[in-house]
Amino acid sequence: MNTVITQHPSLYKIVVTHYLLAAISFLAIAPMLAFAVADLDGHYFQPHLLSITHIAALGWGTVIIFGACYQLVPVILDTELFSYKMAWLSIVTFYTGLLDFIYSFWIFEPGLHLQCGSLLLLTGISLFVANVFITSKKIKKPDVYQDFILTSCIWLLVTAILGVLMVFNFRYAFLPQDHLLFLKLHAHAGLAGWFLLLIIGVSAKLLPMFLVSTGQKVAWLKWCFPLLNVALLLFFIDTYFFGLNRFTYFIASLAFGGIVCWLIYVYQCFATRLRKKLDVAMSHTLISILLLILAIAVLPFIIFYQLKADVLAVRLTVLYGSILLLGWITSLILGQTFKTLPFIVWTKRYQHIAGTKTTLLPAQLYNTALLNIQFIAFLLFVVSFSFGLFLQLKWLIFIGVVCLAIVAVSYFINVLITLLKKSET
Amino acid sequence: MISFEITDENFAFKMEILNALSTVLDPELQVNIIDLGLVYDIAVLKSEQSIQISMTLSSPHCPMGGAIVNSVENCISHYFPLYKPQVNVVWEPAWSFEQITEEGKKQLGM
Repeated sequence: MNTVITQHPSLYKIVVTHYLLAAISFLAIAPMLAFAVADLDGHYFQPHLLSITHIAALGWGTVIIFGACYQLVPVILDTELFSYKMAWLSIVTFYTGLLDFIYSFWIFEPGLHLQCGSLLLLTGISLFVANVFITSKKIKKPDVYQDFILTSCIWLLVTAILGVLMVFNFRYAFLPQDHLLFLKLHAHAGLAGWFLLLIIGVSAKLLPMFLVSTGQKVAWLKWCFPLLNVALLLFFIDTYFFGLNRFTYFIASLAFGGIVCWLIYVYQCFATRLRKKLDVAMSHTLISILLLILAIAVLPFIIFYQLKADVLAVRLTVLYGSILLLGWITSLILGQTFKTLPFIVWTKRYQHIAGTKTTLLPAQLYNTALLNIQFIAFLLFVVSFSFGLFLQLKWLIFIGVVCLAIVAVSYFINVLITLLKKSET
Repeated sequence: MISFEITDENFAFKMEILNALSTVLDPELQVNIIDLGLVYDIAVLKSEQSIQISMTLSSPHCPMGGAIVNSVENCISHYFPLYKPQVNVVWEPAWSFEQITEEGKKQLGM
C-alpha cells in the first residue's frame, strides 16, 4: 500500500493558533487605517502607514501563510513537518516581536523596542525557514512546486534581514545607501520573493485539486520560476547601484513574463476544471488574481513618474502597495481560509466517524451567508478604497475602511463558527 | 464503474459492500467515492474474515487522502463488523475523470 497523507495529531492546535492570530491582526487593520486616513495623501514612509503595512504583511499575510504551510507541507513536500515544537517557538517569538514592532512604529520610537521587535521577528522567521528546510531534506521526489516554496523562504529571510538592518539604521545610520532605496528592496523581496513565489507554488498544487482540473501544463511553471527569480535578482543589483532607471522597465517585463506564465497555468486550471460551479471561496481566489493583474498594471506608471520625479509616483506607490497587500493577498486569504481551515477542523472532529453515519461536510462548517457578506463587502472595499486613494477623496477612503471593517468582522466570526461548530455526534 | 461477475460466489455480498461504500463521500467534492470511480476492486476473503478494498485517490497528494481511506475503513468496520477492513491505495491505473459515473458528473455540474 502506498502512503497517503494523514493529519499529524499536533497539527490542529498550531494551525488554528496561526489562523486566530491572523484573524485578530486583520481585525486591527481597519481601525488603524481609520486613524491614518489623513496620512494617506502624504508619503508612504511615515510611522502609521509603516505600522499598518507591517501588521497587514506580517500579522495577517505571513502568520496565516505560516499556519497554512504547516498544514500543506505534507502535501507540497510529500513528507512530515520536521518539528512542531520549532513551529510553536517560531510563532511565539514572531508574534511577540510583531506586537512590539507595530507599537514602536505607530508611536515612532525607533529605539530599543523597535530593535528588539525586529530581532524577535527575525528569530521567528528563521525558525520557520529552518523548519521548512530541514523538512525538505526528506523530499523523495523534487519538483517545481517545492522550488517555489523553498525559494520563497529564502526571500522571506532576505526581507527580514533587510528589515532588521533598516531598523538599526534608524539609530546608527550605517547603511551605505539611501534608506528609501533599501525600503524598495525590502518591499519587493517581501512581495515578489516571499508572497508571490509562495502563493504560486502553493496555488499551482492546490488549484487543480480544488477545481479537479485536467489540462494544466507544468511547463509554464518551469518558465515562471527562473523569470521571477532572475527579475528579482536583477532588480536588487541594478536598483542598489543605479536606483530606478530605464533598465527597470526591462526587469519589470521579465517579472511580468513570469507572472503571465503562471496566469496561463491558472487559466488552464480553470478552463479544464471538472467542477464547473465556483464557490465563494474560489471566487475570492479569482478576484485575488485580477487584483494582482491590476497592481502589475500600475507598476510601469510608478517607474515612469518616478523617473520624471513626479509626486504622482508616491500616490501610485501607495495604491500599488494597498492593492497588493489588502487586495491580492487579502482576497486570496479570505477565500482560501474557508477551503483549508474547515478541512483541518473536519478531520479532527469527524474523521473517526466518517463512513459510519452522515456527518457535516467541511463546506458546512462555516456560515455561507456570512461568507457572501464578506465577499460583497470586500468588493466594495476594493472599489471605494482604490478610487479614494487615487482621487485623494478622504470620504471615499473612509467608506472603504468601513467596508474593510465589515469584511474583518464577518471573517473573524466565520472563523470562530468554523472552530466552534458543535459536533453532531 | 466497478462491476462484478454475477457468477461470483460473493456477488450479493460485494453489492452490499458497494452500497455501503457509496455512503462515503469525498469531503471536498461532496460526491461519493463509488460515483467518483475511486474504488477499483472489492475482494472478500472469508477464510481471513477480511474485506479488501483496492482504491485510488484523485491525486497522490490529495490533502484529504488519509480522511477518505479512514472513512472507508470506518464504513467496512461499521456495516460488516465481523470483517476486518484492508484498504490498498494504488496509483495504477491513475484516476481520470473518465472514471466518474454519469451521476457523479451530474453532481459535479459537468
